[in-house]
Amino acid sequence: MNLNVILSSVAPVADLSNGEKFIEALILMAIGMATVFVVLLIIIGMGKALIALVNKFFPEEVKPVAKAAQAVQTVDQNIQEAINKAIMTLSGGKQSAQKIEKL
Amino acid sequence: MGEILNKIYEMTAIGSIVDNPYFLVMYALAFLLLYLGIKKEFEPLLLVPIAFGVLIANFPGGGMGVLGADVNGKIIKDGVVLAENVYAMSLPEIAHDLGIMNLIYYALIKSGLLPPIIFMGVGALTDFGPMLRNLKLAIFGAGAQFGIFAVLLVASQFFTLQEAGSLAIIGGADGPTAIFTTLKLAPHLLAPIAIAAYSYMALVPVIIPLVVKLTCSKEELMINMKEQDKLYPSKTEFKNMRALKIIFPIAVTTIVAIIVPDAVSLVGMLMFGNLIKEIGANTSRLFETASNGIMNAATIFLGLSVGATMTVDAFLNLQTLGIVAGGFLAFGFSIFGGILLVKVMNLFSKKKINPLVGATGLSAVPMASRVANDIALKYDPKNHVLNYCMSSNVAGVIGSAVAAGILISFLG
Repeated sequence: MNLNVILSSVAPVADLSNGEKFIEALILMAIGMATVFVVLLIIIGMGKALIALVNKFFPEEVKPVAKAAQAVQTVDQNIQEAINKAIMTLSGGKQSAQKIEKL
Repeated sequence: MGEILNKIYEMTAIGSIVDNPYFLVMYALAFLLLYLGIKKEFEPLLLVPIAFGVLIANFPGGGMGVLGADVNGKIIKDGVVLAENVYAMSLPEIAHDLGIMNLIYYALIKSGLLPPIIFMGVGALTDFGPMLRNLKLAIFGAGAQFGIFAVLLVASQFFTLQEAGSLAIIGGADGPTAIFTTLKLAPHLLAPIAIAAYSYMALVPVIIPLVVKLTCSKEELMINMKEQDKLYPSKTEFKNMRALKIIFPIAVTTIVAIIVPDAVSLVGMLMFGNLIKEIGANTSRLFETASNGIMNAATIFLGLSVGATMTVDAFLNLQTLGIVAGGFLAFGFSIFGGILLVKVMNLFSKKKINPLVGATGLSAVPMASRVANDIALKYDPKNHVLNYCMSSNVAGVIGSAVAAGILISFLG
């Protein structure tokens, strides 16, 4: 039953004395706190039931498909040779490029 | 020359400010809120837009203040009727006659659009994993709604029941919920209630430590939840958390919708946001939009226009001061309600719970949990309670939305 029906049986909602308003607020407090507790208790119970159901029927974690390794962007063979030669020239043949990647 | 100077003087806002020095109070308030948001870093995403909204709304002649309408939509300012029925005006008319801030306010806030939209974003940013791992702790999300109903009781002596209900919902520590409830119960109080709700949310780092200090002992605050878990291990095992997290929001929506239909617009949107997050790659585009684009845009509009409701006329009166005081009480009682429930449960249980887990039954997520974790670390640098607090914290979001649904259903 809607509380408005209960409340209106006490007095018209619009003009209530402070005492009547206090009693109504008290009723609302009892109903409100009880409902919030019941809802969260149901959610807790439902959560436990869901855990049991999921453990039973979907026990294996579906692992997200591993993303295909991003193809390393290779650098054209001719460019690699050109860079290598440039480094060799500049370093007097002491250094060379080990790995060249596009950023 | 004197005439020119006089005209320049009239063009500026200085004359009006001199005539009504209360504007200076509003500037001081705006600067204080800006300081808290920028320097003290109290919820800057909320506080900075709100504070700036307060600032720009209070320059006479600027036209950026939100104008409150009475029950019939009539807007009167300084004895002049600005709108006979604002609800019958088209949006371009509102923008033209009342300015863009009123357009934002009446189109997005007063229509009730933004609170559920923000709840969707909050859902997309919420992880129910900690709650599912510590399901029992979710009950403190109910205990911490005590402040709402305690203040309803007190406020009923000074306000109508509808106004008292709107004031009391500040104790839910949830801005969108407070706005949503007030729009349904006492829309004429939206400005002070929204401001009080958001200001106290931003002040969670001050209010929680204060209540905790007044109500908890050092021994209680040093209860180490991880050690308690080792002493009394849980038998629950999780074989497929991902499936659980996907089914959970669907199940919660269904249950809440059946028990408290008035809470569906909030809880439903919260859980929808969460669902598109948990599904993963297939809905990632929706998730990104809900949690970034939409959420950020909604926060900007909500913050600015809520701040702009705080004009001299609307704010500096006794009723508003009563709401500010009542809101603080509601907030404090809610934190205390959660702590009290922990204390009672600790009397009957071998496995002890840190009262900070009860204090975070408020729905200010994740700020309340972070603050509680900092308090625990002060007493014991190894005592990390964040994950446990998050359980009651996210349950508090559901709890306050349910409490709002009850108030709307019975008083609306």
